[in-house]
Amino acid sequence: MASRAADAPPDAGEIAERWIADYCSGPVKSDMLCAARGVEREAWLTAFEEIATTSAGSLATARERAQRQADDIGTGYRIAGENDERPWPLSPVPLMIGEREWQGIADGIVQRADLMEAILQDIYGEGKLVSGGRIPAALVTGSPFFLRPMQHLTPPGGYQLQFFAADLCRDPTGEWRVLADHLRAGTGSGYALENRLAIARMLGGLQSRLNISRHAPFFAALRDGIAALCNRSDPRIGLLTAGRYNQSYAEQAHLARYLGFLLVEGADLSVLDDTVYVRTIAGMKRIDALLRRLDPRMLDPLTFDSKSTIGVPGLIDAMAMGNVVLSNAPRSGALEAPAFSAYLPALALRMTGQDLKLPNIATWWCGDEDVRDHVERELDRMLIGPAFGVAPLGLPDGKAVLGSSLSDDQRELLLADLARRPQDYVGQEIVHLSTMPVANGDGLVARPFTLRVFAARGPEGEWSVLPGGFARIGDNPDPRAVLMGEGSWSADVCVHCAEPVDPMSLLPAPGSVRLRRNPGTLPSRVADNMFWLGRYLERGEALLTVIRVLLGNSISADTGAALAPATLQHLVDLITGAGAAMPPPSLDRNALVEFARAALEGEGDAQSVRAINRLARTIGDGSRERLAADMVRLLEAPFPQKGGLLDRAGSLQRRYAALAGLSAEHMARTDAWAFHDLGRRVERAQEIAHMARIFLAAEPTHDDLLTLLDLADSQISYRQRYMSGVARAPAIDLIVCDPGNPRGLAFQIAAINAHLAALPVLSDDGIAEPQQAKGQAIAAKLSVARAERVDAALLGELEQELGRLSDAISRRYFLQGAEPLRAEGLTLA
Amino acid sequence: MMRYAIRHITRFDYAVPAAFARCNLRLKPILWSGQQLVDYRLRVEPGGRTAPSRAPAGLANIVRLIVEQRTSTLTIESSAELIVERPVPVPAPDDPTLRDVARLALDSRDPSPGGPAAYLYPSPHIPLDRDIADWCADDLDPDRGALDAAIALARRIQRDFDFDPAATLVDTPPAQAFARRGGVCQDFAQIMISGLRAAGLPAAYVSGYLRTLPPPGQERLVGADATHAWVLLWCGPDRGWVGVDPTNGIWMAEDHIVVAIGRDYGDIAPIDGVSLGSGAQEMHVSVDVEPLDNDG
Repeated sequence: MASRAADAPPDAGEIAERWIADYCSGPVKSDMLCAARGVEREAWLTAFEEIATTSAGSLATARERAQRQADDIGTGYRIAGENDERPWPLSPVPLMIGEREWQGIADGIVQRADLMEAILQDIYGEGKLVSGGRIPAALVTGSPFFLRPMQHLTPPGGYQLQFFAADLCRDPTGEWRVLADHLRAGTGSGYALENRLAIARMLGGLQSRLNISRHAPFFAALRDGIAALCNRSDPRIGLLTAGRYNQSYAEQAHLARYLGFLLVEGADLSVLDDTVYVRTIAGMKRIDALLRRLDPRMLDPLTFDSKSTIGVPGLIDAMAMGNVVLSNAPRSGALEAPAFSAYLPALALRMTGQDLKLPNIATWWCGDEDVRDHVERELDRMLIGPAFGVAPLGLPDGKAVLGSSLSDDQRELLLADLARRPQDYVGQEIVHLSTMPVANGDGLVARPFTLRVFAARGPEGEWSVLPGGFARIGDNPDPRAVLMGEGSWSADVCVHCAEPVDPMSLLPAPGSVRLRRNPGTLPSRVADNMFWLGRYLERGEALLTVIRVLLGNSISADTGAALAPATLQHLVDLITGAGAAMPPPSLDRNALVEFARAALEGEGDAQSVRAINRLARTIGDGSRERLAADMVRLLEAPFPQKGGLLDRAGSLQRRYAALAGLSAEHMARTDAWAFHDLGRRVERAQEIAHMARIFLAAEPTHDDLLTLLDLADSQISYRQRYMSGVARAPAIDLIVCDPGNPRGLAFQIAAINAHLAALPVLSDDGIAEPQQAKGQAIAAKLSVARAERVDAALLGELEQELGRLSDAISRRYFLQGAEPLRAEGLTLA
Repeated sequence: MMRYAIRHITRFDYAVPAAFARCNLRLKPILWSGQQLVDYRLRVEPGGRTAPSRAPAGLANIVRLIVEQRTSTLTIESSAELIVERPVPVPAPDDPTLRDVARLALDSRDPSPGGPAAYLYPSPHIPLDRDIADWCADDLDPDRGALDAAIALARRIQRDFDFDPAATLVDTPPAQAFARRGGVCQDFAQIMISGLRAAGLPAAYVSGYLRTLPPPGQERLVGADATHAWVLLWCGPDRGWVGVDPTNGIWMAEDHIVVAIGRDYGDIAPIDGVSLGSGAQEMHVSVDVEPLDNDG
């Protein structure tokens, strides 16, 4: 057919050309894409070709796909005060930077990191910069992160900084400049990693077509650099987090997993004899280094804020004794103050003999009398902001503002305070940002961006710069930096090279990696989380089953006659006994449907499925670095809303089944998995004992026994085994006594005891620990029980003993209050 | 000249015996102009060991106490004998003005805890506050002599605020005590410091003792049976640090014994730390400051 060629969709190259042409013909000034020439432009073109290929030419599709990849990886972030994580907004269009331009940035970052190191050495050491009049004392003491107890203390290895990050912007002349320095916690490198992963999955061909520099060497340098400072050759390194409510917890969890660090909270750690230990299921294990993501002032209540409850008492003493590496040294934040930027150009020249390769945006600290007068005169042409990150009285909301945008009242307030406390203010030049393309609807729009760049010190002390970092993109087209805020989009940053990246360089030297099958000792807190995650998931599933049996047998037409009222009453008792809902006013259908609805989705104090689901999610959040990404996604999925009550219950039940399948088939058989499975088994054993007890309270009817088999998911096994109708002894044998029924009680007990036998014990005397003894006692009791003699009393005893077993497991393995677990004769490793 | 014997006893009672405790003690009076430590003893019951601690955030003699045995009471008794010889400051016409003081502090080359630069900024327990700043500003004209202004503000606080131990707790923020126009020595010191710093002046928090029994014929001073707190204002390199007591509206002189100096209470709390236990903890403090002879 003749018209075929004309109808064929345009190829990716044409689409990419058209996108770029449309974009650059718009009102675009100083844009990364439109200013690109030669190989730079080719790189953008290639990127857009890949986007066109993967999205069939639709930018809206591309945007959706990028978001899906980011969601898949489980990236998320939290806004302070919010309970739920927000999805990480990832733009499908990466920022393309050529290697020459990048080299300039990387050199500038290294120079800056070295300069910061030298300044820190001085202000916490000899103090010559202040005594020699190079910087005023008030510039140092003004920072809330100037920590005097850290003075004259040499960190192990001698470095103040193991990593360094800075926010850069590109001004309209194409020059890169520094907007802010980050020395406390290099927040964001995990996001850079995740962005790259998402974009690499989406734009698979890009990496090899453009020789994109890889991230792995940077992270290897960070890890090896910290490890090189430790006293042991195979050190245990932790990432110290403030916990799951922290804004960037998802990033921290991801980073910990990628680096192979233990994700630990202050409560997991303990200092004994100036040595740091983590509480694990195998007792106290020594920690050699901590990459900290905790406010330094909260780190150690004995050295800094004595009210801190998230810190580790004695941590700084351990550091002072050279027994733990804290990275970065908890005093580096003093240089983050904007006021310091005012002195950096002069300090660079003096201390390195060179000008700053990456200049700051021009900054004036008003603590100097002449400078203050200058800022006051030029206020309308400047940005004015807090000098030390603390809101001064004249800028109540603590943010930098354009002098020209102040109202008369605001200006009066500001000038009055500027006269009294000039040291609290800096003036800054108003920078304009270059833009980059972002997919918006089905087209590209230009938006201003900033770039966060990361450097880490390798094992020889040399700096390694992450090629790329991540870009934050503003929502507002106004290019003035101050208006961008935190940005509302992020993008991967690709540094493309002329030569292929040597793949060998990414592989460790042969023989240097010690094989291991277990990711290291399990911290007690993680064991606790995994155990309770298992219990709650199983509890939710059991409750759902009761709800489904109740609904299915009382209202559905196709399952035949409704159950006898006495049997229905048992089901109702199971639900009310679990605290899932208030008892229904009657057993008629409408009342039961409302009752089931409350048990499924009730809000408030009730232990409804919804509430249990929420608990499971919160706990899963607390240990997400141990869970498969698919499990995290299922846990985070919103509560079902579509369809009728039975549909919603069914959809949820399928989700629970999927979670059970994932944990059974996809989780490596580590101790973390053992605790998860242990939790499931303990909960299921308790559920079975409880259900059987309720149904055996009086002589069970035929309906009772059928329903019980249904609840225990054992109807099919029963029918395969017994051709006759349902009778008490065979049913109880199958549900309670038969160790071959995977849904039965005996099977759970055997599984529990197998786990308890395999988990670490504290002593080597061969005597059973309390939780092992309790598990074996339950098994013994069950093994001699004959189905005919199993009654409500025996089941009640088993239920209680299982509760005590759970307590014994908690006491032995989990964190208990403030008291550190110290086993008798335990050797501290 | 005064000679004092001081006994400061702190007792912790634990409902459930504490497994072990680690504390910072900042109880031994520092070297400071006008006072001389003659004798010092620290006694801890049921015993423990002491270890060097990290450098204090302020000026303090800091000792780390480690008690490793399980105990249901912990008693820390600090005994000191001092000679205090500190003349009452007299404002002079050639005192530096507040404007001079603020500028000299900003240009200082001394970042140490003895220098003014460390005390120019808000600190964790003493944030700046608009209302306090405005109220204090009436006494803090930039052209006024520093000592004259300091005593005027201390006296106004003493006059306008009620001494009311029920009004505040140890962690009540200054703004709240200010709004209630009441509190104890710590509140008054914090309010005054907040006001001085809001005016750009270097002001420090002092923890110490006040003589318990007044000289014959004089009234007993407020705050004498516990640790006391007051304010130091740096008045330029020549005048140095000058102390005022806003609780009593008086200068720091021979009735005051300096124990430690910091940006606020958090830097120099006499005792802080952690103990490991599960029950409630109760703290009892007694302070006795006895003049040893009457020839001062």
